Amino acid sequence: MTSMTVEAVRLTKHYGDRSAVEDVSFTASRGEIFGLLGPNGAGKTTTIRLLTTVLSPTSGEFSIAGHPSTASAEIRRSVGVLPESSGYPAHQTGGEYLRFFARLYGLSRGVARTVAAELLAAVGLDDRAESLISSYSRGMRQRLGIARSLVNDPVVVFLDEPTLGLDPAGQAQVLEIIRGIAKNRDATVVLSTHLLPEVEQVCSKVVILNHGRVIVSGSVGEVISTALIKQSAQLRVPLDLVERARNVLAGFPDLTVDQLMEQPDVLTLAMDRPRAGAGSGSSDLMNAALAAITAAGIPVLRYELEGARLSDAFLKVTSEAVA
Amino acid sequence: MTLQVAPPDVTTPQDEAVVDRQSGWVLVAEQETRDLWTSGRGLILLFLFSILLSGVTYLTSTNQALNFLEQRESVNLVLQLAVAVGVLVTLVVSADGISGERERGTLESLLVTPVSRRSIIAGKLIAALTMWFATFGITIPYVWVLARDVGILGQALALGFLVGTLVAIGLGSVGLLISGLCNSNKTSIVASIFLLLILFAPTQLPSGLPQGGFFDVLLRANPVASALAYISSVLVEGQSWTEDLVLLITPLLTAIIAGGALVLAGERLVKLTPGVNAG
Repeated sequence: MTSMTVEAVRLTKHYGDRSAVEDVSFTASRGEIFGLLGPNGAGKTTTIRLLTTVLSPTSGEFSIAGHPSTASAEIRRSVGVLPESSGYPAHQTGGEYLRFFARLYGLSRGVARTVAAELLAAVGLDDRAESLISSYSRGMRQRLGIARSLVNDPVVVFLDEPTLGLDPAGQAQVLEIIRGIAKNRDATVVLSTHLLPEVEQVCSKVVILNHGRVIVSGSVGEVISTALIKQSAQLRVPLDLVERARNVLAGFPDLTVDQLMEQPDVLTLAMDRPRAGAGSGSSDLMNAALAAITAAGIPVLRYELEGARLSDAFLKVTSEAVA
Repeated sequence: MTLQVAPPDVTTPQDEAVVDRQSGWVLVAEQETRDLWTSGRGLILLFLFSILLSGVTYLTSTNQALNFLEQRESVNLVLQLAVAVGVLVTLVVSADGISGERERGTLESLLVTPVSRRSIIAGKLIAALTMWFATFGITIPYVWVLARDVGILGQALALGFLVGTLVAIGLGSVGLLISGLCNSNKTSIVASIFLLLILFAPTQLPSGLPQGGFFDVLLRANPVASALAYISSVLVEGQSWTEDLVLLITPLLTAIIAGGALVLAGERLVKLTPGVNAG
């Protein structure tokens, strides 16, 4: 089987005159965590619903695990989905819930029981398997939902806002599970979330949607450089060595170095112009400048990189699209 | 706590040896029925019905002042009550079937499984019908008490079961259609109950009112009223089962048309947004 598991080509969904998704194209491969980003109403959930055959596209094509969009039954067998704000039957236990879904995928009663028990253990709910779902916390429900999305050992797992409403510990647990799905199962994870710092950590590729259209896509570095984010850094050194540090930094013509009026021991470093298409080149330049400072024997009391995060790129491209 | 999710150490669904051939609709019906009864919804409705039935049976069989009915009429009254309440609860449960899942956010998880949407509908209809079967089951001892002395026990039970099941299938299907088309669960349930009230209205008209051709047409066009009239004609008037069979045409047509509409529109009806337009 080819390593490409998700391929969307000019996917479009209209509701009457309103366009929910317009000409969305991207690909994702096995073992990859693919970030589907965008502000509220950007078309992320609609894109997931199209790819999981819950909705029919107005135009465009897609394939999942090699199955064309017309083979909806095969696609449903190949995907696992955690819908946004998924509901759970309050009167079922976590174990019953997973066993029911496992059986819907054709597993016998005995195998469904085994799969349910293993998945509950994998998401840390084995001790609550026979508790009613109504007694679960939000984080536990999200983990149960992720376990349900894995009952059929899917090739592609779609997780729509899996960390929504979770505390930091719950978010970390869910992100750890997501890493495990991609790594240990070699599955593609399509992750829709607003947690951009976490996306930066776990996603190998991202696509940013706005008003139903792809604004930018690629690796995190490519997206940042496409957004032409101006990177800057703050460097704090001992006050008596500031002039020496400025002399060292003068060897980097692409950098503009200024001194903060209110904190004379702090230097601001800014790239004169962003390096389009250079991936993480801007941070390379900053790192080289930092290395030169330390090589000159100047102690670095503080160093903070600013302006080159995915969140900055996200805000820039989505606000530009609005403008 | 280890949160590494490795593939399950079991055979995958694709393996023929472990694939259970049980159809999706059976699994959905099983689960829906279990939810209906273990959640307490079904039991509460049944409990209320049994109190109502006990009161009616007690009055018709023991109270000399109110016991104005002939024994056959008492059996007829209890059976009609069972059909009426059984159909009502079946309709209410089926009216919650699709719109309720939408509102609770549980429908999408079901839609992404390989189970067809027609199977989901079939499973939900069967689960709703268990309300009718349970209602009828509760009625059996009461009918036994009233009918044993007049020798119509078997006939009354068979008649009530067959006619009631036919009406319950028809109106249960109508309830699911309404549920698929309505924007909210509340609207779906209120619309269904309103429909049932309209259907019951002719059965509550005083017998002294002048009855003519129009009333007859109204009665025959109404699946509930005509079904109850058929039960009455066999049990009270002593007609044979085939004599007034024409009264069952509307209940039968309702079941066929509503059931057929569910089969035909099923794939477009069970979706995240109400209506049957392409989703």
